[in-house]
Amino acid sequence: MTILEDLRRAVGAEHVLDSGLDRFGYSYDSSHHPLVPARLPDVVVRPRTTGEVARVLALANAHGIPVTPRGAASGRTGGSVPLHGGIALTLDRMTGILEVDEANMMVTAEPGVRTMALHDACAARGLFYPPDPASWKFSTIGGNVAENAGGMRAVKYGVTRNYVMGLEVVLADGTVLETGGKAIKNVTGYDLTSLFTGSEGTLGVITRATLRLIAMPKARGVLRILFPAMDDGCRAVQRMLLEGIVPSVAELMDDLSLGAVARHRNLQLPEAAGACAIVEVDGEDGAALAAQARRIEAVAVACGALEVRVAQSQAEADDLWALRRGLSSAVGALAPDCLSEDISVPRGAFPEMVRRIRAISAKYGLPIPVFGHAGDGNLHPAVLCDLKDPGQAERAEQAVAELFAAALAVGGTLSGEHGIGLTKRPFLERALGAAGVRTLKAIKQSLDPKGILNPGKIW
Amino acid sequence: MSGPRPSPPDRRLLLEAKDLVSGCDRCGACLPVCPLFRVRDLERASGRGKNAIARALAEGGLEPGPEARAAVDFCLLCRACAEACPNRIPTDEAMVRVRQFFTDAAGGPPAGLALVGRALRSRRWVRLGAGALALLRRVGLDRLLPAGTAPAQFTRAAFLRAFAGPAVLGGPVPAAPAALGGRVAYFQGCGMRLLFPDAARSTLALLNGLGPAAGRDNSCCGLPHLAHGMTGTFLELARRNIALYEDADLVVTDCASCGGTLKHLAGWFAGDPDWRDRAAAFSAKVLDLTEYLVRAGYRPRARHDLTFTFHEPCHLCRGQGIRDQPRQLLAQAGRFVDMAEADSCCGGAGTFHLEHPEVAGLILERKRRNIEHTGAQVVVTACPGCLLQLTRAAEASGGRFQAIHISQVL
Repeated sequence: MTILEDLRRAVGAEHVLDSGLDRFGYSYDSSHHPLVPARLPDVVVRPRTTGEVARVLALANAHGIPVTPRGAASGRTGGSVPLHGGIALTLDRMTGILEVDEANMMVTAEPGVRTMALHDACAARGLFYPPDPASWKFSTIGGNVAENAGGMRAVKYGVTRNYVMGLEVVLADGTVLETGGKAIKNVTGYDLTSLFTGSEGTLGVITRATLRLIAMPKARGVLRILFPAMDDGCRAVQRMLLEGIVPSVAELMDDLSLGAVARHRNLQLPEAAGACAIVEVDGEDGAALAAQARRIEAVAVACGALEVRVAQSQAEADDLWALRRGLSSAVGALAPDCLSEDISVPRGAFPEMVRRIRAISAKYGLPIPVFGHAGDGNLHPAVLCDLKDPGQAERAEQAVAELFAAALAVGGTLSGEHGIGLTKRPFLERALGAAGVRTLKAIKQSLDPKGILNPGKIW
Repeated sequence: MSGPRPSPPDRRLLLEAKDLVSGCDRCGACLPVCPLFRVRDLERASGRGKNAIARALAEGGLEPGPEARAAVDFCLLCRACAEACPNRIPTDEAMVRVRQFFTDAAGGPPAGLALVGRALRSRRWVRLGAGALALLRRVGLDRLLPAGTAPAQFTRAAFLRAFAGPAVLGGPVPAAPAALGGRVAYFQGCGMRLLFPDAARSTLALLNGLGPAAGRDNSCCGLPHLAHGMTGTFLELARRNIALYEDADLVVTDCASCGGTLKHLAGWFAGDPDWRDRAAAFSAKVLDLTEYLVRAGYRPRARHDLTFTFHEPCHLCRGQGIRDQPRQLLAQAGRFVDMAEADSCCGGAGTFHLEHPEVAGLILERKRRNIEHTGAQVVVTACPGCLLQLTRAAEASGGRFQAIHISQVL
């Protein structure tokens, strides 16, 4: 038990939890990975400082103990599930926003800061941190960087990676590494900042991140556009971008999703509506928004839109947004189980991918509502099923595998913003090829030769 | 009085709890809003953690031992998680099931709770208790009681002395607007009777200003029993109250917890053909005092030159969906300013503050800072449980604000 004592010395006895109930509490995340039987960590360790993280990792490395870093455990792919036991390393006590640097327009924060708290602290100074994964109210910035989280604003503003300027990372052996910095142009050595961004806790533990900010847009407006079919909606979004109209959000949902959310919220929509786009624009002032809205309306109508509604008030904007925000739970309520996927395809292949999803749905006799970020090609097909029915469970599994195959076939990839984690491991080699996987493993081997960091993930 | 009959723990309760939480996809939306998680940031304290515990107990992933029991007892039942949840998982309802399971498994509630449960079950004991506390207060001996047993009361008279000019004292009650019709009856909760009799008197005065209204010798609403694994007693009390108010057209209460409980009685009798319709009829005629006053078109007797803020009892805002009415009335009675996190639990939560004084104290600290931040001289609420906590906060604020029941300022 001397390791336990060493851990207690490293972070303080009250921050080392090893009761059955606490081990259970840190065994799961928000993925489909089953809750029971639980993948229990042997111990939960909750450091407060980089120095404490370094001491814990040095200890773990010396004894070959697996370490699974964890933020808010809101991930969708099992990234923070301690598959091989060992230490569940929670970073949620490291909640300092260390600096909002207005001159350089950058913020530096510890990993346990909630993304919304970071956003709000910057917004209070007129600065904008754009990445907005759906979990932004409760997920942590450390987890967002480790998973390279996306969000709805990616079409205009990009994803987490596009904002990470520098990181402090504790390596497997306890070494503290600093990458990047505040210099905007920086080609000194390999781009380690990018390497650790999206590394899913397998290469190091992020203990500090410096993130780029932009000026907060002064005004925002929302449009709801109804189309006869998904194809029309896809075409409209492509045309907008071609014509230089860059919406800050362009979300598209198909008829099944639309029907679900309309029922959920008691909305009356025209019968002919087979797809719906929620488009957000931002800009300098009301006039700028109105100009964009007029151009979007023209494009949409040219592409066959049935109806274009531009929010005239904040209340109406909230109302239109509610359609998108209520979507996941409305779709989830359609069936006992909902396997929500996260494939990402080239924007041009979006309509083709939707057609393939329809075919897969018909083939397996399972409804698959589709919604997604049309502006960036990231789709969330949701396979609706009842996993208690063995027949359905098997068909659902096959359908998901075929979704992945279809995404790869149209030039896309397995995950746009959720990561690979546990749940998509079997498909990795098909996506990256043998050489790709070998290269990942070589990097892993050189940074974590004993393989203690988040073992069992990605491949 | 015979002890509770030991009965084998009913695993169906765990399965019911599991069904209630089975839609939880563990996203974490409940984490930032849980008042307990804010001060004890361990997974087991959160809504998500409790849903997972309930599910694992049913699926055999966790042993139903003392540790799990302590975790399900460590819940305010405030519903903040359910409100933030995209799938609206009723964690509080699941916790009630699991608590009942543990109570049955142990052959009854812990001695202290069993005693409180038995006392509140009996009208006579509640009356005797109220009388004894009133006597102790009169002779100044209430200070000898354990903290919280007999809170300092900020009475309406004291409120008027402190904040109102002489013109207001004893001012005329405005003519009653068109009454809502029918027989209006007052439901007096145990907390109001035992702890805040002055506020209860103010409520009756308000009700009678609008038309004849009287209290009845009602029984406890049963929430303390329901929350602590005494569902049988809860149902017995519910039947008593349903029968007692059968001839009333409206049942008005000034206790958010009673109101929230009584309005939801129907659900507990849905499978009982003898009581289903009677319970539904009863629940449908229960109104919170503020709801009743606004509906009746009541205008406060005076406009005070002071600033109010309002603490929303969990059972008022989330339990009954009443948010605007108290604010509207307070804005008519003086200046009104909202506090941050007005609808976040104060940490009282029935007996929680007695069982977990330190944690309840931390939650109340945050509430106190939010109240002080508004600059309001008076924090108003509509539930004796909250008022107990807020009275403590007022003392801790060193006179920066007072705490009072809404019936006393209208």
